[in-house]
Amino acid sequence: MMEPTDRALLERKVRKAFQVLILQRGRNPGVKGWELKRHLGRDYKKIIEVLSEEMIGLGLEVFEVKGPDGTDDTSRFLLRFRDPPTITEAETSGIRIDDLAVLASSIAFVNSKQGRAGRRELEQFLREKFPKWRVEYSLDRYVKRGYLEQDDKALLHVGWRTRAEIDEKTLMTMILSRGSGEVSSS
Amino acid sequence: MDEKKLEDVLRVIELCRSVQGSSANPFDVDIREKIALLKKRLPDWNFLDELLLDSEAMLELAQIVRLQDEWLKHRASALYIDPFLVQLKVRLLSKEELIEAFVRSWHPIAQLDQISPQGLEKAFSYWRDLQPLSERFRTDFGNYGVKPGSIDLEGLLKMRVFTQEEFDSELKSLYDELMEKSGGEWVDYREFIDKPKMEEKVIRAYMLAFLVSEGMASLKTDPLTGKVSLMASAKKLGGTPKSVAISITGES
Repeated sequence: MMEPTDRALLERKVRKAFQVLILQRGRNPGVKGWELKRHLGRDYKKIIEVLSEEMIGLGLEVFEVKGPDGTDDTSRFLLRFRDPPTITEAETSGIRIDDLAVLASSIAFVNSKQGRAGRRELEQFLREKFPKWRVEYSLDRYVKRGYLEQDDKALLHVGWRTRAEIDEKTLMTMILSRGSGEVSSS
Repeated sequence: MDEKKLEDVLRVIELCRSVQGSSANPFDVDIREKIALLKKRLPDWNFLDELLLDSEAMLELAQIVRLQDEWLKHRASALYIDPFLVQLKVRLLSKEELIEAFVRSWHPIAQLDQISPQGLEKAFSYWRDLQPLSERFRTDFGNYGVKPGSIDLEGLLKMRVFTQEEFDSELKSLYDELMEKSGGEWVDYREFIDKPKMEEKVIRAYMLAFLVSEGMASLKTDPLTGKVSLMASAKKLGGTPKSVAISITGES
């Protein structure tokens, strides 16, 4: 059984964790592990777990995107929808619904190329389905927003935001199962 | 320096770079074979440049090993599906089906955008220190965007487009050329200034303006056809000068 003072302290820290996570500080959403450690102390991961449990009622969860070296300090923590939105809800997100088709195709293409694809190669592929202006505009936008990453050799990779927001396994399964009459969401 | 041996090392570097710069399979590079080649060549290198090239080749091979590692990890993950199958599926699916697939795997980030007191202070400082637009353009682009104006000979001399001596001698040779061509007759102005390069054409027009202003040549325009004609004068002409605006284009 937890002492009342401990409970009060935990509740305060959980509230603080929520405030830190929900307010956008830098250019990109989410908070790095080392920042959370500074705000919440060394046990910040336990506090994040408690917060994530409490968020279930609101349809949210705390999600961790691993950093380049895989340590907790470089991980990015963010609040995200626990369940996918409906198409009507997605339409209110600020992204044009047509552009989502470009993003879905781009992620599938990059994944099919073992995680890196030449930008020109991807543009050519997308132009079979979408007008040229939309392809270039959308790709630039998705690179800027972190859904795709472009390196100095003009190779595109899946960006941190895709890893944060999109269940790539489900996306690939959905794409493969479409048209065959079978849908899987695992 | 043995060019043939160096060529082998350069070829290794080039191969590695081309694989890194494309979505090609990194296992296309036979690391063992390339390292054996570098090892065989190593005793031949005597100069620093050769040794640096050898290290560069090793570095590029290390990058390929890193790519091979990533490649294997991706293939071992559940995300690996035959690339042709994925591409074929994407081609066959309608836009609506792609959107539905995306939305059903999407967990949008929840966040609040708000301005903080620190942000407000930063914005205030930025606005306070912001120079007027005209000042900023001057710093960033120099005279870019300044409206067209006029420049006199003194200005051109200052800009070192001409020296005074060059200008005088060019003026003299142009006058001689005009004198020879006109021989007391009117010649077509545009034909006279015509040169393949636009810069040369402008310079000839500019210098002709001097000759006409000095009274060493006369110029007349036909208001109906717009034709401009020139004639050299052996003696300096008097009378009241008139201004004529003539546009010069890249076409002859």
